[in-house]
Amino acid sequence: MEKLIEILEGLNPEVDFKTCNDLVDGRHLDSLSILSLISEIESEFDVVIPTVEIIPENFNSAKKIWELIERLEEDN
Amino acid sequence: MKNVLKSIIFMTILLILYEIISYSLITNKENIEKYGIRVVSNNAILTEEKNTIDVVAIGDSLIYSSISPMIIWNNYGYTVFDLASAAQVINDSYKDLEYAVDTQNPKVVIFEADVLFRNPKKVPWYYKFTKLENYFSLFNHHNNWKIYLFNFLKTDTTNNIFKGFKYINKTVSAKEKDYMKKTDKKTKIPENNIKYFEEMKKICDENNIKLIIMSFPNMRRWNYSKHEATLELSKKYNLEFIDFNTETDILNIDWKTESRDGGGHLNYVGATKASNYVGEYLKKNNLVEDHRKDSKYNSWNEAYKQYEYKLKNN
Amino acid sequence: MSYFSLKYLLVFLLAIVVVYIFTPKKLKRLLLLLASYALFLKVSKKLVIYLLLSTLSIYISGLLFKKIDDKRNIKIKGVDKEKRKEIKEKYKSKKKIILICCILFNVSFLFIFKYLTFFTNIINIIFSSDIKVLKLLAPMGISFYTLSALSYLIDVYNEKQEAEKNIVKIMLYLSFFPTILEGPILKYSDVKDEFEKKSKVTYKNFCFGVQRILYGLFKKFLIADRLNMFVKLVFDNYTNYNGSTILLGALFYTILLYMEFSGTMDVVIGSAEIFDIKLPENFKQPFFSKNISEFWSRWHITLGLWFKNYIFYPVSLSKPVKKLTTFLRNKINARFSVIVMSAISLFAVWSLNGLWHGAGFTYIAFGYYHFILILLGNIFEPLIVKILNKLKISRQNKVYKFLQIIKTSFLVVLGELIFRAKDLTTAIGMLKSIFTNFNITKINFLLGMDSKDYIVLIISIIIVFIISILKEKNINVREKISEKHIVIRWIIYYALILGIIVFGAYGPGYDPVEPIYADF
Repeated sequence: MEKLIEILEGLNPEVDFKTCNDLVDGRHLDSLSILSLISEIESEFDVVIPTVEIIPENFNSAKKIWELIERLEEDN
Repeated sequence: MKNVLKSIIFMTILLILYEIISYSLITNKENIEKYGIRVVSNNAILTEEKNTIDVVAIGDSLIYSSISPMIIWNNYGYTVFDLASAAQVINDSYKDLEYAVDTQNPKVVIFEADVLFRNPKKVPWYYKFTKLENYFSLFNHHNNWKIYLFNFLKTDTTNNIFKGFKYINKTVSAKEKDYMKKTDKKTKIPENNIKYFEEMKKICDENNIKLIIMSFPNMRRWNYSKHEATLELSKKYNLEFIDFNTETDILNIDWKTESRDGGGHLNYVGATKASNYVGEYLKKNNLVEDHRKDSKYNSWNEAYKQYEYKLKNN
Repeated sequence: MSYFSLKYLLVFLLAIVVVYIFTPKKLKRLLLLLASYALFLKVSKKLVIYLLLSTLSIYISGLLFKKIDDKRNIKIKGVDKEKRKEIKEKYKSKKKIILICCILFNVSFLFIFKYLTFFTNIINIIFSSDIKVLKLLAPMGISFYTLSALSYLIDVYNEKQEAEKNIVKIMLYLSFFPTILEGPILKYSDVKDEFEKKSKVTYKNFCFGVQRILYGLFKKFLIADRLNMFVKLVFDNYTNYNGSTILLGALFYTILLYMEFSGTMDVVIGSAEIFDIKLPENFKQPFFSKNISEFWSRWHITLGLWFKNYIFYPVSLSKPVKKLTTFLRNKINARFSVIVMSAISLFAVWSLNGLWHGAGFTYIAFGYYHFILILLGNIFEPLIVKILNKLKISRQNKVYKFLQIIKTSFLVVLGELIFRAKDLTTAIGMLKSIFTNFNITKINFLLGMDSKDYIVLIISIIIVFIISILKEKNINVREKISEKHIVIRWIIYYALILGIIVFGAYGPGYDPVEPIYADF
């Protein structure tokens, strides 16, 4: 989780990622940041995020993203 | 139930407000008492000054696409008015003529022969719906707010600058074809239409009006058998009949460049030719007077200026 | 057929509402379907067959996907992890064949009806051949319903959407009469529940729906149709005017397009609202956007989302692109690899977006114009952040925000100029004139509009602007109005209805805007 927050802060330092829960809907993360985020996560956590999982619900908060990573790790 | 009542009250107030606005936006209130607001709004001729119109042209889209009264005014000084509506049936032509002779004193009536062949009984049901707008008369004259509002700005918008003509700036070329080829086919004018035509003729006789039948260029619906039927009718009543479809050398219409919809109607270039011919015809037969220098007709000069402006900016 | 015509509003829609109220609950959905097909048949006649084929193809494919998934789920029960993956792959490839066939089937119709002429012409020019150009009349709304169909298909394939067993619902989904002509482009999940719930016409729904429709009519008749005269004059013959007048024409066209299209959406969404069916919004105050990519998430939202979900992410995360970006990531740096990744998928998105808007070079140029702007935005983003930090300007700074909004609007106006221009040479000529022949004192205002028209125009735009600001601040204007005293409420309605009738730019002397998006 720590690691994830670090990645997120690298993308947009002006957001408090611990509390924010409308990252996508509030346009704190645009599609380019999401692409960066995905490639960071994929190399950091050794998972593959399929297109199907890229929906706002999965990316709206750090917690949700973390849940997604855990789920994908399990699947692996 | 409460909601139904509410809706009814809402609609009633709306209708009252609507009628009030509709009334206050009519420019010539003189005729309202006699005919009611709806008739005045639908018949632009009723908003013209009394006894100022020399010629009325009655008919369907062929009239409002072929005769531009403003061109005739500018070149000859005659006051012509188009009393035309899309796909007009003769019952309406008759009504229009009645209104026209009631407030005006025309010397000539031009009647488009195409109307003779449109059987009102066979006009499809939706025809009534296209007339929906006519029942809500404000739709026709709503733009008169420009006459009443914001008058600290000087823009003179007079009521009616087209005098019934419809300006559509479009050209769709048609392939030349011999649509007037002689055939043995006979076309009959419906009973109802002959009856109404006779009534119209009567009105003209009573008011000393010269009635002329014309058939403006139209390769889509006009043909030889209709020409023959009209000719027969005109002979029977001893009327003049000018068919621009058979006497093609009058206008020399080039269908490639002078139609707005591929042969159904003339475009503005074609209409200019037709209008000038009508003016020339009236002059040759010495039927009406030139009013250009008459101060009583100043509004027509004004209207022409605006007409020119509209055309340039369209 | 236009949603703004009296025929639609006072005849078609009203008749359906009345019949709907008296239809038994079970048949209500069927009535909507009948009405939708009646409209389609009236406009497109025999071409209804293509709508039916598209509907059937996605319906059947959906059921097949479900059957395959069910079989797979039985097979993988109690199997160990390694084997499970293998089985999954096997079934997936089966599904993939169906998916590809069905996509090709649907896209080929779209291609034939919309693009065949264009591409035949191009081939004829390149090879100076003389292939006969087929001119076909497209089925109504094909560009919209095909995208909706594909989204259902792909979502069911990905198991994001359950396959629908009831064909009536799928038929209604693709043909629903308010949306068929100009969208919004629906996802099945947008409307599934709406179609299923026991909806009825209530007093409140009716009032809200009518209110929304009136707002749409207001935008269309007071603003869009009034501007049309000016816009037509400038765009039909731009050489007659100087650069500043051309820029004003482009600005007016952008306003016109927004009022016309968002006004249509008001009528569309309001129509559905009467039947208690909630449709997704297509506009969210686009002219408050701070950059182009934000603009496209607020303008024609459902189209933007479609491209994002079905083109942008799939291309970005496709195997070849990933291989390339991993390579770049290791060789150069992460930032660069992401830029390349987005460039490739943005290129795909905007090529298709341009083409979707129409088969013509101006539309393609319109697409690439946005591609370049967004790509440049991505590339220079770090630089801008650096500069802002140096100057100690926060992104939340009001002046900075305002300047960004102005910049974005200006770029959008130039884009819409390309969109509206007759052809590419004209577009370039007009742009050139704006930048070389600009003289603000020589603007010709009085083209097809007199000063009184300007008064009505400005007041109307201010009204829309105020409502937009309130919406942007998340104030629900409609709820606010409904809370007001009945007298005030009715005065608002009367003013709106009579205002549209009196001040609308229709009738003699005005040319209505043709439905811009309906041809797509």
